[in-house]
Order: sequence, then C-alpha cells, then structure tokens
Amino acid sequence: MDFFNSHVLTLTTFLPLLTAVAIMFTPNLAISRWVAMGGSAVTFLFSLHVWYYFDAQTPGLQFVEEYSWIPSFGIKYIMGVDGLNLLLFILTTFLTPLILLSVWHIEGSKQKAFLSLFMFLECGMLGSLVAFDMVFFYIFWEAMLIPMYFMIGIWGGKNRIDATTKFIIYTVVGSLFMLAAAIVLYLLHYQKTGTYSTNILDLYTTAPLYETQLWLFGAFALAFAIKVPLFPFHTWLPDAHTEAPTAGSVILAGVLLKLGTYGLLRFAIPLFPEAVATYAPIIVSLGVIGIIYGALTAWMQKDAKKLVAYSSVSHLGFVVIGSFALVAGGNQISVEALTGAVYQMINHGISTGALFFLVGIIYERRHTRMLADFGGLAKVMPWFAFMLIIATLSSVGLPGTGGFVGEFLILLGTFQSSPIAGITASLGVLLGAVYMLHLCRKILFGPLDKKENQELQDLSPREFAYLTPLAILAVLMGIYPNLFLDKIRPSVEHLAQNYKQYRLVAAEQPAKDIENVASSEQSAESAGE
Amino acid sequence: MLLWLVILFPLLGAALNGLLLRKVSKTVSHIVGASALIASFACALTAYMQMMSAGGEGQVIFGFDWLEAGGFKAPFQFILDRLSGMMMLIITGIGSLIHIYAGGYMHEEKATWRFFSYLNLFVFMMLLLVLGDNLLIMFIGWEGVGLCSYLLIGYWYEDDANAAAGMKAFLVNRIGDIGFLIGVFLCFKFFGTVSFSELKDIIINGNALTGPQLEAVSWITLALFIGACGKSAQLPLYVWLPDAMAGPTPVSALIHAATMVTAGIYMMTRLNFLYFLAPDTQMIVASVGAATALFAATIAIVQNDIKKVLAYSTVSQLGYMVLACGVGAYAGGVFHLFTHACFKALLFLGAGSVIVAMHHKQDMQEMGGLRKYMPITHAVMLVGVLAIIGFPGLAGFFSKDEILWKAWIGGGPVIWGMGAMAAVCTAFYMTRLLMLTFYGPNRSDHHTREHLHETSAVMWAPLVVLAILSAVVGYLNVPHVIPGLPHLLFEHYLSPIIHVPAAAAEHWPHLTATYSHSLELGLMGISVLGMFLSAGFAIVLYKNGPSPTAIKLKKSFSGIHKVLTNKYYVDEFYFKYIVDPLKDMSLFLWKIVDTVIIDGIVNGIGQAFMLVAGLTSFRMSGSLHRHAMVVMLGIFCLLTILLF
Repeated sequence: MDFFNSHVLTLTTFLPLLTAVAIMFTPNLAISRWVAMGGSAVTFLFSLHVWYYFDAQTPGLQFVEEYSWIPSFGIKYIMGVDGLNLLLFILTTFLTPLILLSVWHIEGSKQKAFLSLFMFLECGMLGSLVAFDMVFFYIFWEAMLIPMYFMIGIWGGKNRIDATTKFIIYTVVGSLFMLAAAIVLYLLHYQKTGTYSTNILDLYTTAPLYETQLWLFGAFALAFAIKVPLFPFHTWLPDAHTEAPTAGSVILAGVLLKLGTYGLLRFAIPLFPEAVATYAPIIVSLGVIGIIYGALTAWMQKDAKKLVAYSSVSHLGFVVIGSFALVAGGNQISVEALTGAVYQMINHGISTGALFFLVGIIYERRHTRMLADFGGLAKVMPWFAFMLIIATLSSVGLPGTGGFVGEFLILLGTFQSSPIAGITASLGVLLGAVYMLHLCRKILFGPLDKKENQELQDLSPREFAYLTPLAILAVLMGIYPNLFLDKIRPSVEHLAQNYKQYRLVAAEQPAKDIENVASSEQSAESAGE
Repeated sequence: MLLWLVILFPLLGAALNGLLLRKVSKTVSHIVGASALIASFACALTAYMQMMSAGGEGQVIFGFDWLEAGGFKAPFQFILDRLSGMMMLIITGIGSLIHIYAGGYMHEEKATWRFFSYLNLFVFMMLLLVLGDNLLIMFIGWEGVGLCSYLLIGYWYEDDANAAAGMKAFLVNRIGDIGFLIGVFLCFKFFGTVSFSELKDIIINGNALTGPQLEAVSWITLALFIGACGKSAQLPLYVWLPDAMAGPTPVSALIHAATMVTAGIYMMTRLNFLYFLAPDTQMIVASVGAATALFAATIAIVQNDIKKVLAYSTVSQLGYMVLACGVGAYAGGVFHLFTHACFKALLFLGAGSVIVAMHHKQDMQEMGGLRKYMPITHAVMLVGVLAIIGFPGLAGFFSKDEILWKAWIGGGPVIWGMGAMAAVCTAFYMTRLLMLTFYGPNRSDHHTREHLHETSAVMWAPLVVLAILSAVVGYLNVPHVIPGLPHLLFEHYLSPIIHVPAAAAEHWPHLTATYSHSLELGLMGISVLGMFLSAGFAIVLYKNGPSPTAIKLKKSFSGIHKVLTNKYYVDEFYFKYIVDPLKDMSLFLWKIVDTVIIDGIVNGIGQAFMLVAGLTSFRMSGSLHRHAMVVMLGIFCLLTILLF
C-alpha cells in the first residue's frame, strides 16, 4: 500500500503506456479490446484512488514523486496533483474507457493499432497533466501529437491528410515558441540562482524582468492559445474535428483542448505574472470574440460535427475569459471566474464529449452528418433524443446542469472584472441556445420524411453504456457542484489571490493522512464482515 | 419536511413517466401524473396551513450548500411565506385540476408518458422558482420552466411549425434571462449577496445605502425587469407567447396563462423593497405594463383562432399585473395574478373542450351555436368571460378595478387611460369570442356537426371547480368603496411581504394617502359603463355570427384591420432587422473571415515555409515524413542556438 500511495501518479500515467505495448503483442483484436479496456479501467480506478485520498484542505501539491534524472542540467522527474489538474486527470481516465467502448464494434486489421495508439495518447495526456518538470511536460505534450496525428491521418474522413497536417503544423509552431521561451526561462533562472532547474516549482520563483516577461508570456500563451483554441488561432479545430473519427473527436474536445487552458493556468499566468495584466485585456477580448464568433459560425454549419466543433471555440472562450478576469486592481484573479473556468473545462469535456458521441452514432447509421439529411429522429430514436437533449442542455448551460455552474461563475467573475466583457460574453449564453436548439430541431424534430431515417435503430445497450455515465455526470455536476468544487477550492483560491507571487510547494502531509483513512476503512470493512 | 414532499412528488412523477413508464398505457401515465400533483397539493395545503397557524411568518428551509465560489454563495434553500405559499397553492391546486383535465384532452394521443412527464417536471421547476430563497434557485426554476415550455410547445414536434414555436419561446426567453443574469451579477457586485432575505435585511434594516448602491438598484431592477419582460411576455419580448399556443391546450392553460408567465410579477413582488427604491425603473415598468395591456388587447380584437384570442388576452392581462407592480400596487398585481389564474385557466380549458369537440379546429369562424351541444362548457365559459371582462361581482371586476384605481393615483391619467381602454377592448373581444363560439348558427361542416357533443366528466368537472373559483375569489379583496363586505382582506394578508424602504417613502405618497370615495367610485363607474357598452356592441355585431355590420366595419377600416391581423408586423420587423442581418453576418464570418482571411493567412505562412523548404531542396515524398523532419530539425536548431 505504501508503495502504491507514493507512486500512484506514475502508475496511473504509465499503465496506459504499458497497455499500449501489451496490445501490440495480443494475438487478435478481441483480446486486444479486452486488454485495452482492462488497462483503462484499472487506470481509472487508480485515478479514483487519487481523487479519494486527495486532501481538499490544502493548495499544496499532493502525491508528489520526485527523482533526479540529469542532475547537471537540473532535470528531474516530478509529478504531483493539486486542484488545478485533479479533475482533468480524472476526466481523462474516465473518458478513455467510454471511448474504448464506443469503438468496441469496429473491426479491421488496423483497429489493434488504433487501440494501442489510443492508450499511448492517454499516457501522453495524463503525463502532461501531472508532470511538474518542464522537460517531462514538454515530452508528454509533444508525445500526444503523434497518436493524434495518426488517428486523424489514418482513420479520418476524406480530407484527413490536410486536416491532420494543419493540426500538427499549428500545434508544433506554437510548441516551438513555448520551447524557446522555456529555455530562456531556464537560463534566466540559472542566472538568478546559480542552479539549473527545470522544476516548475523552482521556475515560479524566477520572476524575470517585465519586458522579458512580455516576450516569454507571449510565447507560452501562443502555444496554449493555439491548443485551446483561442480566436483567431482556431481554424485547425473544425477541420480536425470534422475529419477525425468519433473517438478522436471526443478525446480532442474532451481533454486535449483543455491542456491549452490548463497550460495557461499552470504556466503562462504564474510564471509571468507581470505580463498578465498587460495581456489580459487582449486575451479577454479575444475570448469574448471567440464566444460570439464561434457561436455565430456554429449556427451556420450544415454538418452536425462541424457545428459542435465551432461550439467548442465558443465554450473554450468562456474558460479563457474566466482565467483572465482580473480584479483588485489587477492584483488578483476573480476567484469566482477562475473556479468557473476550471469547472467549465470538465463540464465541456462531458457535454461536448457526449455530443461528439451522439453525432458519431447517427453518422454510423446513416453515413452522413448533414443536418438536412435528418429530421424527426425523436420518433424512431427516443432514447437518442433523450441523450441529445441532456447533452444540449448542459452545453447551453441550463441551470441544473454542469454547464450552468461553469458559465455562471465565469460570467459572474468576469462581470466584476469588466462589466462590458461580462455583458458581451453573456450574449454567448443566448447564441449557444440558438445553434444548439437549431441542431436539435434539425435532427430530432420536424417530420420524419426521409425514407432512410424511418428504420433507424434506437441506442444499443453498448451505446447506452457509454452515454449514461456522461448524462448522469452532466446533471450531477449541476445539482451538486460542491462534490467537485470542494476539491479544487484551495488551489483555485491560492492561484487567484496570489498569482502575482505564486509559489507551489508539496503539501506537508501528503494526502489527508492516508494511513489513518486506510486503516479506519479496513477496520470498517472487517467490522462489516 | 412537508415542503420537500411538495416539490418531490412532481419530480418523482416526471421521472416515473419519463424514464420507467414509457411502455404502459396512457391511463397509467395520466394517473401517475395527476396523482403526483394531487399529492403535492395536499402537502402544500398542509404546509401552508401550518405556516399560517404559526402566525404567517416566513420560514426559511435549508437544503444543502449548492453553489459556492469565492465570496459568492447560493445555498439550495427555500422560503415559505405568505407570497410563496400562495403561489405554491395556485401552482399545485390549479395544476391538479389541469392535470386531471389533461387526461381527457390527450385521450386520443398514442403515448402520453412524455406529456405528463414534462408537465410534472414543469410543476417541479415552477415550485423551485417560487420557493427559492435566492435569485439563483429562482433562476433554476426560471430557466427550468422555460425548458418545459419549450418541450411542451413542441410536443407535437413532427409539425415543424411547433418545433419552431418552441424554439422561439426558449430563445426569446433567453434574451430576458440575460437581463436576469446581469441583474444577479450587479446584485452580487453591489450587495455581496443574492439571497432575498439578506437583501431585504440590507435594504430595510441596514445602514443607508451608498450613492453607487442606490444607483445600482436602478440598474438591478431594470435588468431583472428585462427578465420579467421575457417570462411574462411584455413588450417587446411578448412575441413568443402567441406562438406558444402550438402546444396542447392544457399546457396553454397551466404554463402560458396561470403560472409560468406570472413569474415576472412574482419576482418583482418578491423584490418589491428594491423596486420601491427605483422610481425610475418603476415608471418604465408601469409604462411597459400599460402599453402591453393595450397593445395586445387591440390585436385580440381581430383574431379568429380561439386560442390566439386567449393568448393575446393573456399578454394583455399580464400587462395589467406589471402595471400594478409599476405603480407600487403589488398586492393588487398579485391579486389579479390569482384571479386571472382561475378564470384564464378556465377559459383555456373551456376552449380546449371546444377544440376537442370540433375535432381540433380552432377557427371561430367555423364554430357557432355550440351552446346547444355543450351546455356545461357554455355555462362555465360564460362565467369565465364575465369574470375577465370585469362584470360586477365576479373575480375580474374586483382585481382589475383595483389595478385601474391604483394606476390613476400612482401613474396618472395617461396610464389609467391605457388600462381602461384595454379593459374596453377586453370586454369586446371576449364577448366576441363567446358569441362566435356558442351563439348564432353553427357554421361547421356536416361531419363535424354530427359529432359535436359535451365532453366527459373528467374534463368538465375541473371546469366547474374553476368556474366557482372565478365567481367567488374576487370577494377576497373588496375595495373600500363597496359597503357591507369585509374590505381588502388580500391586501392585508400580503402586507407583511411589502416593504417600502424609509428612504423611498417620499416617492410613494399615494400608498399612504387617503382619497375620496367619490373619485374611486367615479372611475369604477366609467370602466363598468365602458365594459357594458363594449360588450353590448360585440353582442350586436356577433350574436348571429359575424353580422353584415361587422363585415362592413371590417371593410371600412381595412387598413387598421390588416395591421391588427398581422399583429403590427412585429415578427416581420424582428426577422427583417435582427434575425436576418445576424444570419448574414454569421455567414460572412464563416465563409469569408474564417475560410478566406484567417485560413488564407495561415496557409500563406505555411506556403512560405514550404517555399523555404523547397529552396533548400529539402523535399521528401510523404508529407508526414517531411513534417516530422522539419519539426525535429527545428527543435534541434533551436536547442543548439539557445544552449550553446
């Protein structure tokens, strides 16, 4: 148990990699499916361990693992969780088995490779989330691109090559800027302290000169803004989504985009706080533009998947403005807005993930995603309609779903920071309903007049199995947000109130005295027996 | 505890019908749906009695911590007091009657689980709206009822027009909801709380408000009023309500007449202490209310669809209630809300019975003479019509005249004039509706006429209950000028809820002043006289179907008639000047900005790189290899430059 507790992050992160390798050696697809599912399920259970023993009282880093790797360059292997990455970490492990379930029926000689790549991708995502060493972060960050590149490039639609190339070029260009800036920061830190370190916790103390920060922040922010994507760096997203297979779209929208917003919170803001106040008006403006622009373009789409893709531009705009809602004369970030931003990342993963699943379901049945090819599906697919409406409601931020909690807190905080930005962004709440209800109306309602649609089968038990957890979470996150908010509160407040001098240390007592909890649990169990 | 049952029964009913009972017979759906409501009503009544016997003081019931971040706090918490208690009884009481009736109305439908599930869910949301102790819980209900309204308007979704109407309702309401949200943001910014009881404490018992706070109150109340305009169908956001009639008639009765649309009035009454502090906002509220009352009443005059007449009538009556709030007569507004809930639910359900008998035809030009075939429906509709036009002694007389009187003393002759004109129109179009439907010769085709019959007891029994209510509830608030009866019981009942802050008292002298009875009696006389003349005129014109005079009048005023039939072209205006330009702009953003400009720049940069790569003869076959190489090389170069 001790070993497990002190290495749980490493185990959780690399179990998918191990699974990916194991899949390559499986004799047939049937077995590889079970291997993948088993690996991802255990990964999810491991992450639940982290969730359960996570101490919600401290903003400090927990479950920290730290090993020296290349001492002369100060490169270490450091992992940890706090309130900023905990939920994303679990979202990733949670979505992966669901996605595997959604591709369970796909046959073909290449499918084994797909599963293997997917597990590889999970490792990359988990690693980038919990790595606290710049080098390791960068390796994980870039490693994610490889499986994504192939997933779109091999399993994508007919313009897959163009789309995946665009995706890679956009992302790599951003990453290179970030790499350059990271190296500069590394050297500056050396200049200042006389020791080399790639440890992010050390780098937080660097505090470069204001002019330098402007450049470095710009480079980091660009890398993350492309990933988010923030207007006007978003044009890779609709293409990538449209061409990617359903599984790729779900994980892209569910987790990969959030790494952009997470990166802003973990790196850009606390590393270069002096630049934040300078850039915030620009970034918030771009975010607000993205909200409106994404919504309006989504409304015009004729392809259901592209519509959902553009909706991500709009939704992620909310997360961005929530992260830069400065208050108290620019010395703090609005706690409400930042809480909302972190929450909205998760919520968007759930609702948009579900939407991509649902679009995938009708695409598989009809081999088209054009809205004009549907209509009246509520009649033949009532449970599909039910799920689509739940996902829609969460997406439009109806109170009682997670979407409301996130959007509301973001707008509330943004309004305190800048009423104009808050009010303009509020229009996104209306426009979100415009394009989503438009989608529902075109697919579900109206006459069931197309012959091909009249025989469509409603959800299969397998489809139910991967949609139901998302639907339940979408509602649970709206009805009882404290279940999640309580975990992130200390970290969010710590960043929001101290971003100008952000310091992060390992929590003194790692994870609420695991021994005690574990032993009391054991005794409870034995008492039960 | 009881209060939890009140809200949980409808939720349970919705879940049962919506998730588990999809395959059962429609009788089971009906029984589940209706008994959930009746159980809820029984609990509501008990909880209400307990509260009143304990002195009628408000009780706050804590549930759990719901939304907390930074300084913001919105617990899941209820308030049961005289106002919310009364609303709770209206919702579950009238809701029960309508649920019972709906079983008959939806009898020919194949599957009704969806209908009853939505209807139960609506009641749950509406109860959250009125019972919530802070603006956020209210907002859950506020948007939740909008959702149910959207789903129910589009209940027959196979007709695209219904789906469109549902969507329109949701979206127009969302415009209002943005106003509501901004009100919440401002409230938090300037008062640090969104709880009703805490706000009241700050305003009534706290220190004097600062200048910015006082200014903020004007904006808060105005922003929230935008929300009320959406939900309560006021100018300029009323356009969704007439279209909402696409839903089944019980829905129109429950949601679009008796309960949901009154949410705005409820909200303003709940926050009356804030609105009293903002006389500027109140002037706007009163004007919007009066204008809506008159505007919608004029449209109702020329409608031929029986439900459309009632829809515009509802908009108009909501205008009265808003007007009452605007002149500070909250008790009057809420009282009219109550009487209106009774007689408008009655009128809608009665119209529903007519529609069922007519095989779902709604055009009054094809009706006539139904009195003979449907005597009970006729009798109850007659009571409903008399109640709404303010026939002396019935509910509407007391509630409407109270509002008109307060409009005169609080808003002046112009506001009163608009209200009185609207009353005259109401008398005309409601009498016209009664005449065209129940009197004169029957104008339906042979087939329809053969099948005309009175509805079953499950449908007319609730109507009889509503008719009795419509006849008697007015006596709960008899004005001073009528001797021999207990006066203004309702106003006294509600007075613990109404607080004029000391700082605002100077703006509201008429609330405490005494006025001569002769003035009030005189105004009452004018409106009663106008009502009789107008109703008489309608009887003359329509007692035997549209008379030649009516047709001649229509011809000689064809211009006005055309404008009214087309509802002042408001929808057309919105589409031409708001929706269509927005669509054009969106298309431009997508086709030009996204595809040409942004992608063009990106591709240009990309091609520039390719060119460089080409010049250095760094070409490889597969694009994958090339990019991978470029990336690796780039990283290598950068590392080299930076590190050494």
